[in-house]
Amino acid sequence: MTILTRASPQTLRLLALGLALLATILFFATQIEGYLSPRMFNRISTSAAVVLPVAVGQAIVIMTRNIDLSTGSILGVVAYMAGQLLNTMPDLHPVLAVLFCMALGAGLGLLNGLLIAWGRVPSIIVTLGTLALFRSFLVEWSDAKTITTASLPQWLVDLPSANAFSLGGLDIRVTVVLALAAVLVTGLALTFWRPARRFYAVGSNPDAAVMAGINAPRVVFTAFILSGAFAGLSGFLFLAKFGNITVVAGLGYELKSIAAVVVGGVSIMGGSGSMIGVLMGALLVDTIDNSLTRWAVVSEFWRDALLGGLIMAAVTVDTLASRQLARLRKGGAG
Amino acid sequence: MMMKLTGLAFAAGLATLMGSTAMAEPVTATPGQQVNAVLLPKFLGILPFDQANRGAQEAAAELGSTGKLEFIGPTPENSAAGQIEMLTNATTQKQNVVMLSNNAGDQIAPAAEAAQAAGTRVVTWDSPIPSGKGESFFVAQVDFGSIGTVMADMAYDLAGGAGEFAVLSASPDAANQNAWIDMMKEALKGDKYKDLKLVDVVYGNDQSEESYNKALGLVDKYPDLKVIMAPTTVGIVAAAKAMQDEGLCEKVKVSGLGLPAEMVSYTLNGCAPQFALWSFVDLGYLTYHASYALATGAIKGEVGEEFTAGRMGTFKIEEDPGRPGARRVLMGPFTVYTKDNVEAAAN
Amino acid sequence: MTQPVLELIGLSKSFAATQALKDMSLTILPGEVHAIVGENGAGKSTLIKIMTGVHQPDTGTIRVEGQSVTLRSTQGAQEAGIAAIYQEPMVFPDLNVAENIFISNRAKGRIMRWSEIYAEAESLIAPLGVKLDVRRAASGLTLAEQQTVEIARALSLKVKVLIMDEPTASLSAHEVARLLDIARALKAQGVAVIYISHRLDEIFRIADRVTVIRDGQHISTKPVAEVTEDGLVKDMVGRALESFAVKTAANPHGETLLSVKDLSRAGVFQNITFDLHKGEVLCLAGLVGARRTDVALSLFGIAPATDGSITLAGQQVRIATPQQAMDLGIAYVSEDRRKLGLAMPLPIFANISLASLKKLLNPFGLIDRAAESAMAETYRKRLAIRSPDSLIEVGKLSGGNQQKVMLAKWLETKPRVLIFDEPTRGIDVGAKAEVHAIIRQLASEGVAILVISSDLPEVLALADRVLVMREGRQVGILPIEEATQERVIALAAGQATSERPAA
Repeated sequence: MTILTRASPQTLRLLALGLALLATILFFATQIEGYLSPRMFNRISTSAAVVLPVAVGQAIVIMTRNIDLSTGSILGVVAYMAGQLLNTMPDLHPVLAVLFCMALGAGLGLLNGLLIAWGRVPSIIVTLGTLALFRSFLVEWSDAKTITTASLPQWLVDLPSANAFSLGGLDIRVTVVLALAAVLVTGLALTFWRPARRFYAVGSNPDAAVMAGINAPRVVFTAFILSGAFAGLSGFLFLAKFGNITVVAGLGYELKSIAAVVVGGVSIMGGSGSMIGVLMGALLVDTIDNSLTRWAVVSEFWRDALLGGLIMAAVTVDTLASRQLARLRKGGAG
Repeated sequence: MMMKLTGLAFAAGLATLMGSTAMAEPVTATPGQQVNAVLLPKFLGILPFDQANRGAQEAAAELGSTGKLEFIGPTPENSAAGQIEMLTNATTQKQNVVMLSNNAGDQIAPAAEAAQAAGTRVVTWDSPIPSGKGESFFVAQVDFGSIGTVMADMAYDLAGGAGEFAVLSASPDAANQNAWIDMMKEALKGDKYKDLKLVDVVYGNDQSEESYNKALGLVDKYPDLKVIMAPTTVGIVAAAKAMQDEGLCEKVKVSGLGLPAEMVSYTLNGCAPQFALWSFVDLGYLTYHASYALATGAIKGEVGEEFTAGRMGTFKIEEDPGRPGARRVLMGPFTVYTKDNVEAAAN
Repeated sequence: MTQPVLELIGLSKSFAATQALKDMSLTILPGEVHAIVGENGAGKSTLIKIMTGVHQPDTGTIRVEGQSVTLRSTQGAQEAGIAAIYQEPMVFPDLNVAENIFISNRAKGRIMRWSEIYAEAESLIAPLGVKLDVRRAASGLTLAEQQTVEIARALSLKVKVLIMDEPTASLSAHEVARLLDIARALKAQGVAVIYISHRLDEIFRIADRVTVIRDGQHISTKPVAEVTEDGLVKDMVGRALESFAVKTAANPHGETLLSVKDLSRAGVFQNITFDLHKGEVLCLAGLVGARRTDVALSLFGIAPATDGSITLAGQQVRIATPQQAMDLGIAYVSEDRRKLGLAMPLPIFANISLASLKKLLNPFGLIDRAAESAMAETYRKRLAIRSPDSLIEVGKLSGGNQQKVMLAKWLETKPRVLIFDEPTRGIDVGAKAEVHAIIRQLASEGVAILVISSDLPEVLALADRVLVMREGRQVGILPIEEATQERVIALAAGQATSERPAA
């Protein structure tokens, strides 16, 4: 009981998550030929890299006891418009291109943030609305044209296969480095940067946050802007990786990101969660997804069901564990 | 006889009067009538459907319809449900005809039957209602049997006559892709293809990232895979990009149905040396002509009727060989694109 | 003369038609404990909210150390040196203790130096005489510990004025003593403490001066040595209150109604044995953590006992669900009105009828609205629920009136045994006296009553007998004649009175 109440539940959950990831990899290694290979590492790392930034932004929003359902649509809009921009301005510096993507995403997130933080509309309603709104805007804007690889500058087409460095035979691609940088910077900020700690405070106890002199609406507003900016970064990676952008680009990424975040141990009730958890959650979800695609035993149609089951299992374990802890503590306090 | 003697202006009315009498001659619908029509694609936002709309608008202008031609469609994530809703709305608005590229399988049949009962004709194009229920007829871009054969042939060529290949399709509900794959399987039974093995069929749901990941999944799952056959314009580019990114173009060839404009670079660099397609502009054009003739009563939608469709000539309503009891108008032909002709078509 | 640390001059504040404060003036000196008392609705909360920057006064001036200030937000108030702690502490359950302390501390820079933060947190908590691991998450802390965290937070901001709003309402006697020690320590550091409480005994123990407010107006400010309890109450209610803390009238006990023998719940409490007579009030006293509420929950079937026997009117019974308890005529009036007792958004009448809807069905099986209203009206008058009619939402009533609504709900079930859990927590003296009178009245009508209370004067005022518990065990039953504050505390705290209550 002392261990349970003393050790942070976060630590326990990360441990469990690490074990789950290991178990998943070992299981598929016995099932799929040549599974433990640099090639498979590449498949999973580059695929997880696209969803990771969205998940990072989503995690910040969920920490503040909100949710952002519009990230997939933001990703789509950014990927498409960045594709158009690079078509007309092929000489744009890559760094500026990334900044453009993040700024555009932040701009869309700003709309969410305004309505939620100061309009006092629940985030699930607002972002459900902008999910459809941004997507419809994209359908209108695109005029049914597809962004094709041929219209993109060569550096962008080559980016997904570009190697940053190799580590013991494993290639670490540039896109993976970009995604990991997003995780690392956010993780450090959430641990050591005082203003970023307010995301936890606001989600942990909104009333107390107000009493402690924290401007809660501004914190929530910032969270949505960041979520938009990170979705924008994912939009850039999406454009680079898939090259062909139609109006359906990024469809379902909001759910993928929520899955990664929730599996990664960020409490859906807000207030807690870590970037290492989000990273592991994204890896676990992507590993399972990618492995199931290559596993002959499971048919196409069971993959989504299995993924859904996994997410529900994660949330259930989370709820049960917190309830159990609460009971132990309450018992202790009489 | 009378039809030849009377002016075109009376043709449609007389055709109606003549009712079920056998049609020896092709009918030409009277221009300038009021036909309110809806062109309803699977969803909005991809090039083929936009091209079909261009063709339909061209036909509508040519025929001088005083009614409206609306191009409406659901958003991609809401395709099936959205189509059913929009068909029902068109019925309550008393539209004369709805031209549908069906993405809802047989789920849409009740709504289509209700539309017919209320006087709104339903003509399908690109993708039919599998059971044919509620559909006046289907304007088929190609003969589904022949597209099956062409896909089998392209796989045969690219695999060098023997080896493994897999299919990357659109959604599991897409009636046209499913029919083509069935026809291809049928064709594969021929002796010529005995060394060609279809190992898997996967679905990318017309999304770039899903198609891309599925294509890589196929390569990993089947190390000896030689060809990925993608009968969908989204799937084929995604698969080609995936092979190019992973440096697999020498080993695994991509083929299927694609738009020249989107495929040109992959055809030239050898990732996708061969693919096929028909003109979506023509498909939209023909569909509007057929629908206009049906809505004005110039044709009744029965087997054996013939009608003219402007610049494309004369077409005939016939039994659909793939769907017993259903009728089709066959557009045909399609073009196989290679590095020799793709650039010209892309521009 | 010392420079006042805080001066409120002629403050007025209205909300719509209600004037919450009228020309309120108050002077707080550094290093004093200044008590503010008044009935609920007297304007205390508005006053606190103005001092903490939540509300702005319509007219009037606030001066801190002689400088006129405008407090626009909680943060602004904190920067001016004013902070508050509340009955329900405002901590962040997911953050650790140290971070809770420094969360809004701007002076600490933008980078979190964790080791420094832990060290400083420890140095803030140590002088308060409390042992607390600053690295643990706040979610498992007791209320008293959470308050300590909040006090440390205020200290880290170098506050000059700390407002304590009903800080002891949810604390055990032992924890109250510790809190008062902390208040004295703050005073010694020169911090002015504004102490707001309904418990007059605490005010006499801690305060230097006491201010009475009533109807939004300042009534009096006097050194505590110059006031008496009766005088304060008179100022607060504007009249003499005869029923406050009356000694129990001799009450002839009837036959034994409820007999509990060796009642236990594994791991929670053991061997509780008592007889409860008709017309008797038995109080359960003890520190927080003594498991008194758990005994009540077992008798009401929420957390059934695992061992022992319950005999009701000569029949041995098993109580495994609240429904069984209600069928046997046992009712439980819980301490947490919000969680367990009342549906806040519903009107008074619907709350009263909630537990006895079956009786109100007409021949068609529908609720007889007229009968329901009549029933509610009866109780509204009988229990003097202060509201114009019974259509008002319960959430809009004051704590004392909410308590009465809950009581009405249970009375309508015609209980034979009534269990009250902290019946007067957080309600003001006037309403408290009324609740006491109602309890005595019910007893005289023959209802057997069990009262759980942490408020010792209340226990001594109400009880015929006092059962004292400590850490899940029964440590004695005292007849009221032998029960004194000292004896009860000695029993409740055990030999080593300084030992911490189980956490």
